[in-house]
Amino acid sequence: MLEKFINAGRLKSPWIMHFDCGSCNGCDIEVLACLTPLYDIERFGIINVGNPKHADVLLVTGTVNHRNKHVLKNLYDQMPDPKAVIAIGACGLSGGVFREAYNVVGGVDKVIPVDVYVPGCPSRPEAIIDGVVEALERVKVKLGLAG
Amino acid sequence: MIGKLVFALVATALAPVLGGLISGVDRRITAWLQSRYGPPVLQPFYDVLKLLGKRPMATNIWQVLCAYVYLSAAAVSVFLFFLQTDLLLIFFTLTVGAVFLVMGALASPSPYSQIGGQRELLQMLAYEPLLILVFVAIAMTTGSFKISAVFAMDKPLLYSLPLIFVVLGYALTIKLRKSPFDISTCHHAHQELVRGVLTEYSGPYLAALEIAHWFEVVLMLSICALFWATSVWGMLILVALTYFVEILVDNVMARMTWKWMLRSVLGVGLVLSVLNMLWLYAN
Amino acid sequence: MLDTLVFMVVVVPFLVAGLLYVVRPDGVRKLIVSAMALVLIGSALALLAQGPFLMAVPAAVNELVVLLDFLLLFLILVYSYKWKSRLAVWLTLFQIAALAWLDFGLADHGKAGPAIMADHLSLIMLLVINIVGSFIAIYALGYMKVHEEELALAKSRQPRFFFFFILFFGAMNGLVLSNNLDWMYFFWEITTFCCVMLIAHDHTEIALKNATRALWMNVLGGATFVSGLILIQKVAGTMFLTDLFAMGPMGAGGGALLIPLFLLVFTGFTKSAQPPFESWLCGAMVAPTPVSALLHSSTMVKAGVYMVLRLAPLYAGTFLSSFIAVFGAFCFVATAALAVGQSNGKKVLAYSTISNLALIICCAGLNTPASITAAILLIIFHAVSKGLLFMCVGTIEQKIHSRDIEDMRGLYGVMPKTAVIAIIGVVTMMLPPFGMLLAKWMAVESAMGQFLVIALMAAGSALTVLFWARWAGALLSAPFDAERPEKLPFSVRMPHVVLASLAVLLSVGAPFVYYGLAEPVVAMYYHAQAFTMQYGSFVSSTGMFVVYPLFILLGLGLIFALRAAGRVTPSEIAAPYMCGAQTTVDGKAAFTGPMRTPVVSVSGNYYLDALFGEKKLSHLANSVAIVLLIIMLGGVL
Repeated sequence: MLEKFINAGRLKSPWIMHFDCGSCNGCDIEVLACLTPLYDIERFGIINVGNPKHADVLLVTGTVNHRNKHVLKNLYDQMPDPKAVIAIGACGLSGGVFREAYNVVGGVDKVIPVDVYVPGCPSRPEAIIDGVVEALERVKVKLGLAG
Repeated sequence: MIGKLVFALVATALAPVLGGLISGVDRRITAWLQSRYGPPVLQPFYDVLKLLGKRPMATNIWQVLCAYVYLSAAAVSVFLFFLQTDLLLIFFTLTVGAVFLVMGALASPSPYSQIGGQRELLQMLAYEPLLILVFVAIAMTTGSFKISAVFAMDKPLLYSLPLIFVVLGYALTIKLRKSPFDISTCHHAHQELVRGVLTEYSGPYLAALEIAHWFEVVLMLSICALFWATSVWGMLILVALTYFVEILVDNVMARMTWKWMLRSVLGVGLVLSVLNMLWLYAN
Repeated sequence: MLDTLVFMVVVVPFLVAGLLYVVRPDGVRKLIVSAMALVLIGSALALLAQGPFLMAVPAAVNELVVLLDFLLLFLILVYSYKWKSRLAVWLTLFQIAALAWLDFGLADHGKAGPAIMADHLSLIMLLVINIVGSFIAIYALGYMKVHEEELALAKSRQPRFFFFFILFFGAMNGLVLSNNLDWMYFFWEITTFCCVMLIAHDHTEIALKNATRALWMNVLGGATFVSGLILIQKVAGTMFLTDLFAMGPMGAGGGALLIPLFLLVFTGFTKSAQPPFESWLCGAMVAPTPVSALLHSSTMVKAGVYMVLRLAPLYAGTFLSSFIAVFGAFCFVATAALAVGQSNGKKVLAYSTISNLALIICCAGLNTPASITAAILLIIFHAVSKGLLFMCVGTIEQKIHSRDIEDMRGLYGVMPKTAVIAIIGVVTMMLPPFGMLLAKWMAVESAMGQFLVIALMAAGSALTVLFWARWAGALLSAPFDAERPEKLPFSVRMPHVVLASLAVLLSVGAPFVYYGLAEPVVAMYYHAQAFTMQYGSFVSSTGMFVVYPLFILLGLGLIFALRAAGRVTPSEIAAPYMCGAQTTVDGKAAFTGPMRTPVVSVSGNYYLDALFGEKKLSHLANSVAIVLLIIMLGGVL
């Protein structure tokens, strides 16, 4: 019974934390655009929090390099379960145009498991919101609620 | 006696529900003021339920202890309020919760929660004298610190203590963690502080703190309601208006520094209470 | 039986002190002090069971006291001269002259009366002195051993230390049992002398300097004491407290009695280190910690408030009384603010002691049944909790070699048991449902009609919460770790545990403490009752304090919280948030800094030096206090 309520809460209150892993800020601006009155992601109970300990969903933009991969891993580790990761933009997906650079590791999934990939350069706010909704579907599957 | 006890127990059990609803409405009105649509009114409940389902994580066990003591103390102070006991006693019980919140924040070596804890202490330094003055003013008008004495009045307290109500408003703004006094923590993540005292709390412990906050919101608003204790409608309208003004202030004010807070809150609070008391004596 | 008990508490400590001065082996000293502690506790309890009494003594004893009094004054004179305090020399010379005039010129020796009197107030003081004091004496055994090992003395100075330490018990017991004010003056001077000698005990430069300051301030108190006595003898024609009480408020002397009363109350202020004399108590913190625990928090400084409280019925309803209330309330705020600016643990305790004494003085000045109840409860609960906290700081200091609050961060990881006991001490000092808060509640409610006093009290109690809460928080801040075993000698651990339990148990038994101890005093003073008990709650016409329900509810909350904390497993422990760069250095939280080097994160409390700095604030506090004292003096003249 309580579990049912908790699961309902899990689907209706995905707090996101946004980590800029070395993005050109294009995707970051689009992430922030989601918070503006035009898109107003708080409609879905989504809040942008500043701390992995409060977050359910990690939004990562930008390429992962050898310097910040530790930070990315640390942040991911500090998020309490259940959690999901969304990689945003071409760079987050694969390293983008920086893919071949000497210091670049590649996409986010080289360091932490990624649940949803949102393509685009930059990704559109609608796509990002869709990404979060898709992540919730994944969570549903993980919780055994899909069907 | 049994009837009073049952009433207080039921009221205490319902307080978090009411507190959550108030918080949901608050978020809707805030969104409306910012031309947004806003979350569902039940959103705070979804948030807390989700937090309860998360895997526990803490920096040390003292944090956990402090979170639950804070919750218990907040619940006890609401219970004592609805039992219509002594205002000063309720204030002291409220302090237990506030102190343990700070102790929990200071128990973690995180710089964010350390600064948050220190700032929370300064907030307490600002609102505690004001609350005591408010309660003393009420007691000097009714002749007793007991809440039942307020209900025995035939005229609303607001007539005799208008300025004291403003002083209470200051304390309320601090206690509700609204701008300009949301310097130790608030519902948004602030750049330099993350979430201050709440930074290191997560999952069920954060849920406990949130529920404790709801208790405190209900308690503070109930104290506001005492100023129109003669009719239920009066109480409701007064509380609704006060809360709306709080939201408005929250949305139009910037966050200020602790120095400004100490100066303005203590200065204005003291002057207003003295003026009100002088006026009361002159009558 | 009665004279044996009085002999036990007053004279025996003097004899034992002499014995300790000559006995050098540690084992024998331990035995003597422990036996002495048992005797004192037993006698104090027996005297309580006995109830109030009056006792006459042979005239020869009286003459002996007078003789010893002069000897003592000459001894003080010698030390004043030796330490080159001109002020103290003149004040002592004045005292000798005044005492000679009083004893040989004025006093009516034909009029004999009971020199010894115990009413309920004296009995409460006896309990506090002998029970709390005895445990501190036992603590001193273990503390001084380590203390001397650290100093690496060639020859132990412990005999000298324990001589004054135990002597003090006799003096303090004598002081509270005196009916003859001349006797009280004698014992008062002995406590001054013991105090000064113990401050100077370590013979460092700073110790001697602070001892000199304590000397002149207390000798000033002595001088006003003897002046007050001369005036009382002239106006009222008696030196016996019982006679003065019989005259009722203001006495037969009318307004004229107010001047000596002011002088005696002023003497109390100097002993209780109220501003502008607070600097001697802060300076006294250089003394070994058991001295601070016994003399400078739980007992000797209480002699000052005992004096103010003792005389309360005499100045009830006068201008003096309301001014004492305002003065006390002001000192309460001022010294609490001074405590906020301190990071030195012992100084925080010192200022908080002064602050609480000021609150007691304020309650005495309010002079209502409820406020006197508050004052008595404050004396009892403060003695236990503050004695405990001083002992904790002493023990902590011997382990971490610092008394700074910032250095006590993470103490739980180093000394888990002491840290928890210290936190219990702090919590009993500042939070309900414990006794200190019960008393504070009574104090605020009894001041209801006086807005100025209550505003000051409100500010003071907010400041108090500020400095206690951050200290307790600092003690808790510890990484999650397996508890490291903490070994302490029995003589150190036992007093900690006993006083911590006493602090909690007395609060649980607050209604019994009220009925057994405080209520008889109020009944004696006012023939009225301040509170009644209903459903385990203190109820008066202005409010109620639910003791048992609150204990049960908050206790359940604590159990609930303890269970939740107990369920936490090491796997749930995470490093604090450091923007994703968290790491550890020797188990301490750190972050990865420049060049990939780990940097330990350091945080400190806000001490708000710009607002609450000692230099700035103490000048202000002292000036205001002096102005208030001058107004008070002007009023009584």
